[in-house]
Amino acid sequence: MNQSPAPVPAMAEQDHPLDSLPGDLMIWVLIVSELLVFGAGLLAFLGVRIADPVAFAQDQDSLNRVAGAVNTIVLISSGYLAARAVHSPNKMRLWLSGSMVLGLVFLVVKWFEYTAKAELGIGIETSQFFTFYYLLTGFHAMHVVAGLVIFALIMRWPNPRNLEGAAMFWHMVDLVWVLLFPIIYLVR
Amino acid sequence: MTQSALTRAFLTLLALSIGTTLLTELRPQAGMGFVALVLLLAGLKARVILMDYLGLRLAPMWQRGFNAFLVVFLLTGLGLYLAG
Repeated sequence: MNQSPAPVPAMAEQDHPLDSLPGDLMIWVLIVSELLVFGAGLLAFLGVRIADPVAFAQDQDSLNRVAGAVNTIVLISSGYLAARAVHSPNKMRLWLSGSMVLGLVFLVVKWFEYTAKAELGIGIETSQFFTFYYLLTGFHAMHVVAGLVIFALIMRWPNPRNLEGAAMFWHMVDLVWVLLFPIIYLVR
Repeated sequence: MTQSALTRAFLTLLALSIGTTLLTELRPQAGMGFVALVLLLAGLKARVILMDYLGLRLAPMWQRGFNAFLVVFLLTGLGLYLAG
C-alpha cells in the first residue's frame, strides 16, 4: 500500500523566542533602543556628578520636585487610560482622549518648569547639571509630543494593531520617566 | 490582560509614586539609604510597567532579561552615586 509520507510538523511559531514578545517586534526594538539611550544618559549624568557632587546638589535644589512628582502621577495615569483604550474597543476614543489630555498636562507642567528656570537666567549652558537636565528631560518631552501625535493619528484612523503599538510607545515614555525623575530630581 | 489587573497595576504605580514623594519629604537629607530606597522604588515602578502594561508577564524569558537590565542599571547608578 502506497502511503504518503507523514507531514513534517512545522515549527510552532511560539517556539521562536521573539514570537513570545507581546505586540509588534519593532516596537520592542524601539523600547530597547530608548532604554539604552536614556539609560546611558542617566548613568553619564551620575558619572559626571562624581567630579562635583556639591555643585550638582545645589543645582538640583533649584528644581521643582513637586512639579516632577505631579508629572509622575499625571504620566502613569495617562498610561493607565491608554491601556484601557486598548482593552475597551467600544470606548477607545474616550479613554484615548483622557490619556491625551493628561499628556498635554504633563507638557504644560514641564513648560512652567522651563519658563521658571529661564526667568532665573538658568539655561542649558549654566552648568553641567543643567546641560543634562535640559537634554534628558527635553528629549523625553519630545517623546511625549511624538506620542500625542501618534494618538491623534490613531483617533483619526482607528486600528487595533496600531492602537496597541501606540499604547506600547506611550508606556515606554512612562517607563523612561519613572527612571529619569528620581535620578535627576531626587538623587543627591 | 483583564481590566481589574490593569487597575491593580495602576494603583500599585500610584502607591509607589506616593511612597517616593513621602520618602523625599520625610528624608530631605540625602544618604546612601535614601538613594537606595528611591532607586528601588523606581525599579519597582519600571517593573510594573514592563510586566503589566507592556505585557512581559506573559513572556517569562524576556521578563528575566528586562529584570536583569533594570537590576544592572540601578546598581550601576547606585555605585556611581556612592563614588561621588
